[in-house]
Amino acid sequence: MTTYLEFAVLGLGLASVYIGLSTGLLLVYRSTGIINFAQGAMAMWGVYVFATLYDDGLLVLPVGSVQLGDEMALWPAILIGLLNAAALGVVAHYVVFRPVRHAPDLAQVVVSIGLMVTLQALAVIRFGPNNVPVESIIPRGEITFLGADLAKRELLMAATMLVVAALVWAYLRFTYSGAATRAASENERGAVLMGFAPDRLALVAMVMGAVVSTIGVMLGSTLTGLSPANYTLMVVPALAVLLVARLESVAVAAVASIALGIFQSELSLIATKSWWPVWAKSGLDQVVPFVVIMIILFVLGKRLPSRGSLHSVRLPDVAVPRFRLVPTLVLVGVAVVALFVSNDTYRFGLTSSLIVTLLALSYVVITGYLGQISLAQSAFAGAAGFALAKLTEQWNMPFPLAIVLCAVVASLLGMAVSLPAFRIRGVQLAIVTIAAALAIERFVFGNYSLTPPTGNPIADPELFGASFAIREGRDLARIEFSLMVLAVVTLMILMFVRVAKGDTGRAFLAVRANERAAASAGIDVRRTKLMGFGLSAFIAGVAGCLLGYSHGQLSAESFSVVVGLQVLAMAYLGGITSFGGAIVAGMLGPLGLVYTALHQWFEMGNYYALITGIGLIVTAILNPSGIAGQTRMQIGWIRDHTGGGARRAPKPPPDDGRAVDPGAGSERKEVAGRA
Amino acid sequence: MSEPLLRVSNLTAGYNGVQAIRNLSFEVGPGEVVALLGPNGAGKTTSLLAMVGLLPLIGGEVHALGERVDTRRPHQLARRGVMLVPDDRGIFFGLSVGEHFRLARRKADPVRQEQVLERFPALRRLTARKVGLLSGGEQQMLTIAKAILARPKVLMIDEMSLGLAPKIVQEMLPSIRDLAKEEGIGLVLVEQHIELALSVADRGLILNHGEVVLDGAASDLLARREQVEAAYFGVEDRVEVDAEVLPS
Repeated sequence: MTTYLEFAVLGLGLASVYIGLSTGLLLVYRSTGIINFAQGAMAMWGVYVFATLYDDGLLVLPVGSVQLGDEMALWPAILIGLLNAAALGVVAHYVVFRPVRHAPDLAQVVVSIGLMVTLQALAVIRFGPNNVPVESIIPRGEITFLGADLAKRELLMAATMLVVAALVWAYLRFTYSGAATRAASENERGAVLMGFAPDRLALVAMVMGAVVSTIGVMLGSTLTGLSPANYTLMVVPALAVLLVARLESVAVAAVASIALGIFQSELSLIATKSWWPVWAKSGLDQVVPFVVIMIILFVLGKRLPSRGSLHSVRLPDVAVPRFRLVPTLVLVGVAVVALFVSNDTYRFGLTSSLIVTLLALSYVVITGYLGQISLAQSAFAGAAGFALAKLTEQWNMPFPLAIVLCAVVASLLGMAVSLPAFRIRGVQLAIVTIAAALAIERFVFGNYSLTPPTGNPIADPELFGASFAIREGRDLARIEFSLMVLAVVTLMILMFVRVAKGDTGRAFLAVRANERAAASAGIDVRRTKLMGFGLSAFIAGVAGCLLGYSHGQLSAESFSVVVGLQVLAMAYLGGITSFGGAIVAGMLGPLGLVYTALHQWFEMGNYYALITGIGLIVTAILNPSGIAGQTRMQIGWIRDHTGGGARRAPKPPPDDGRAVDPGAGSERKEVAGRA
Repeated sequence: MSEPLLRVSNLTAGYNGVQAIRNLSFEVGPGEVVALLGPNGAGKTTSLLAMVGLLPLIGGEVHALGERVDTRRPHQLARRGVMLVPDDRGIFFGLSVGEHFRLARRKADPVRQEQVLERFPALRRLTARKVGLLSGGEQQMLTIAKAILARPKVLMIDEMSLGLAPKIVQEMLPSIRDLAKEEGIGLVLVEQHIELALSVADRGLILNHGEVVLDGAASDLLARREQVEAAYFGVEDRVEVDAEVLPS
């Protein structure tokens, strides 16, 4: 029993980090309506600054650094670290989040992912990729209680964070601007009409949130050390806590953080017991938050509150694709020629681009057409990839059948993950799916009893005696493999076009536009969502299999959540509502053509990730509805003004039922509408 | 007559370039009550949103307290005393009545708060209660109370009668009119309930299809009921418009 008590106290260390991150997330959400996926990364920066100052007196700035003596005393170092966090909060508010305050949910998710990628890349460049130990800032020692030796440090950490959370609670509860923040989070227009500037409230909350989260990570890092990756994704369990608190209550978030920290710690103790199955030891830290989220959604079943906003911009309209033979043949022809004329390096880049296109296409289906933000597509791809390794190596499943079966596995997984989408939508669904993805990544892909660390080799694809292996002898990117990938990708895109223009596609669009209206028109919303998740996971699964074949063997890194997020962000920027967006994402995506070309021309090193992150932020701010949406509008304008619009299908009216064109025709539409 | 508190000249506004209100012009002086009347979709709410800067103007000008409204941000206008009570009441269900008072008055102003509570005595015992738990009538009282608490100079109220029992409206409207007269507040009432609104207003404008179809002193309009109803339901107007734009 004493051991359980000791582990419960040890769990308070993790709980302190959760309190810091979830309180910060809550402040940001309530003041801006944005779920800041970069909260962990933002907190990490201030802690890095503190740690290097405290250790050797070096003040590291994003560019350049200043030596301030040999080492710095504790409190000045903490203060400067927190000031850095506050400054980062100000910059994040003005440069990143303020411009997308009223953009679609997805644009906000994309900029926060962009910020996360940027900060992580910057941390690697400025502080190195390895784990840095952080000196403990809280005295160690033990307190004996009921015969158990309880760690003093963890107790003090939790106490500190509870005080911090109490201060945040008091700010929201008792201060004038705190009450205004609560008011604005409920009804932003009402707050404006009472004379409050939501932007200013958001700035205050963003800075407070950054500082509070930094304090949490500062304490946590003394236990775990600091690396660019470890606190970035810590935001996921913190989001689970935030859901428990219904995105509202600081007090509930603090209690839930402590409960989760203790529970995880106890679970790690139980997992050491002999009776605990070996296969269930890995990734428990991520599985628990996911299970917590699922239980909240199903057992409590309460709909989570959404935040009132002044006005918002919708996702761009979908252009229903049409099959056109000539452009299809031209595109495929160009791809074939490019594959034949390129050398190994570029052929591999182009092949990777084709595969990423397919992964991005799965985002187009689920997000662009069905309007559901899923961050778990890479996990579906991974599930298919790992299934492929088992099927081909252990059961000698032949090539095309193996892909289909594995994609079906991914599809089933996708349908399972879609269950929460019956109840929630928008950015909250994004939280659930990222938690699912992380749980799958850690529990399955990173689980050595399921996927041995020695590697998961995949047998080379063969059909009727012809080999489609990626490598043979000195040939590292065989044309046969690339052509096979091209054929599969073309087939999938044609299947997508077929589905999108048919009844299923229309049902997807109806659900995206308005679930209630869709239901009243006789569409089974749940079935449609299930089909959408199934279809998109199937496509992701095929992409996962192709990725598996292209690598020859798989590791968890191939399908990490971060890779999935990057592909989503690029698909969004390319245009999440058309397969053109998927193609753009493919070209720009990890190991794709642009990546290959840039690495061939320049020595990019760690700067590629940084440039990607900044590029994502800038593009999302300039085009909150995506590049393709903007481009399509411009093309439409040009057609309208050059008389080429005659062949265009009439533009559907927007959701609010008002006519769009301000030109001469609109008056008639308006009057006709009234009559 | 003194300088008007609100001067609307040829206001044109709408959504996505479509005009929901065209060429609206009127003035409101201190203590004057102007009623904007019309059926659904006439452009009343759009006009109000444009007047407080929440919707960009397509054409025309709006001056409030001698300044163009499009040179200020909406919250700055509210702080200067140009207040809109929106049709969703602009209240916050998670906050208590007392917290609404605190946010509305900005600085401690016990005298004013007492005046307001005298006008709405029912709110006195509700200060600790969450607004989500109030009845519709109490919520509407709070909306007006918090607007008055901020000592407005121009007050615009959108569809006060919406969702309220006629009896409550009949009590509240005259009370607000009296306050406007006492304190010299320029009051704009947007209503669908013609008779009630005209009974407290000095002047009435009837809007239909985004245009002013009838404009006059409230007493005159009340006397010409048939004409008002015809304008309200837009019978003549629609025939005219259709004839103009239908394809030949």
